[in-house]
Amino acid sequence: MILNGIITGLIIGGILSLPVLGVAVIYGITGIPNFAIGVIGVFGGFLTWYFLSFNMGIAVLVGVAVCFVVGYVLQRILLTPISERGGDSTLFFIITISVGFVFEGLIRAIFPRPNISLALPRIGTIDIAGVTVEGFKIIALIFAIGTLIVIRLAEEHTEVGKSWQATSQNLKLAKFLGINTNQVFSIASGIGCALACIGAIFWGALYNLQLSSGWELGFLGFIIAVVGGIGNIWGGIISALIIGMVMSFSGYLLGGMWQSVILYFIVILVLIISPKGILGSERSL
Amino acid sequence: MSALKGIDFYAYDNEIVGIVGPNGAGKTTLLESIAGSMHIREGQINFLGHQIERWSVLKRRQLGLMLVPQDGNVFPMMSVKKNLEVSVVLSSHSEKASLINYVYELFPVLRERRKQTVNTLSGGQQKMLAVGIGIASNASVMLIDEPSIGLAPKLVTKLFETLRKIKEDTQKTIVLSEQNIKVLDIADRLFGLEAGEIRFDEKKENLGRDVVRDLYLGSGS
Repeated sequence: MILNGIITGLIIGGILSLPVLGVAVIYGITGIPNFAIGVIGVFGGFLTWYFLSFNMGIAVLVGVAVCFVVGYVLQRILLTPISERGGDSTLFFIITISVGFVFEGLIRAIFPRPNISLALPRIGTIDIAGVTVEGFKIIALIFAIGTLIVIRLAEEHTEVGKSWQATSQNLKLAKFLGINTNQVFSIASGIGCALACIGAIFWGALYNLQLSSGWELGFLGFIIAVVGGIGNIWGGIISALIIGMVMSFSGYLLGGMWQSVILYFIVILVLIISPKGILGSERSL
Repeated sequence: MSALKGIDFYAYDNEIVGIVGPNGAGKTTLLESIAGSMHIREGQINFLGHQIERWSVLKRRQLGLMLVPQDGNVFPMMSVKKNLEVSVVLSSHSEKASLINYVYELFPVLRERRKQTVNTLSGGQQKMLAVGIGIASNASVMLIDEPSIGLAPKLVTKLFETLRKIKEDTQKTIVLSEQNIKVLDIADRLFGLEAGEIRFDEKKENLGRDVVRDLYLGSGS
């Protein structure tokens, strides 16, 4: 049972790390807390579900691409201009929450069902020390870790990645040097929303997606990111895996109804002890 | 920020121009207005035949203007090498390496410490990197806001000698705001700025140290 709990925890943590990564990328680079990313991601999840019977690859691509474009455009026409006029966290909270409600409304208006489960093909099972795990779940975990590694490598070794780091560390100097910081912001926002969408697709395949799922994924993403040290990618992942374990074991040991009590109690405890999160952060919310 | 009034400022190719004046004279405001991080309410800014006062920082940078600000002039959590690598973002692939090499030649200590994270460097080394970032950017006009501030006298002399060498090597325009009297040793021309207005605009040969010194102390004192 312990092994089972660990594996479930890893998988929950791995999937959660995708929206967390989305939050970390967006907040780390633009400095704007976007609370809508979970709902936008779930919107993409519904789109994927809608096209799933057509072709799985195309369906996933449509969902992820639409989320990227939504994130990109949202940043370009709304968030960057507000930021340039000196918008503060409270204003961004209200605006991005409103954007979230717009997308929740769109899900309700466009899609025939408010509660879906994505039937992605189940690719066999794997035995790990006597515990049987669906191969599909392992893929979700590997994908999450792979995405993290790709983002870290890109940040360290590509020109675009270096411009990102520069923009996040010193916006003014980055502008003086000729880095197109507005474009960096827009792409970061697009990638963040696309990551949230991939997280939502996995979530929808393992559990289900409903109207409220976006808020759950988005807020959980934020909380986990803050616990890890917001904007700090490694902290976010470690935090996601810990939270995954907490959710898994509190579910096993005490039953599902205690899960959120334990989870948020631990979150509050961590933030009292270490307000900047487990690994700390340059920025604070 | 100080207000500027009736400023008539200009700089030519292959020239070091000093803007001198006491604190609050408007030196930073003038440099930021040229670089585009502040916008002027009235008047014109012309650069290479373009009227640029409504242009964004990015567009002005692409035309060849670069400001090395007084504070926040490095990327603190990145290595020295990476700081320089992001500074050459607008240059062609073949130019990049030689620009970075040129910075290392000017400041050998930066080459030694290229792998170090910038916030572990000394204040003097960070200032050298800040100037190095300006050079690596390969802008045709480099605006530097008070490069000598916080530096030991020896380092100021060395930094100024390096700026002189950069001008001779690259034929570029360097505009620096300064409160340090040593600026007289390297500038070709000086603008005296006080309370947002230009007090003098003279070639170095025509200026005595006493004129500059009087301005730093302020006419009212």
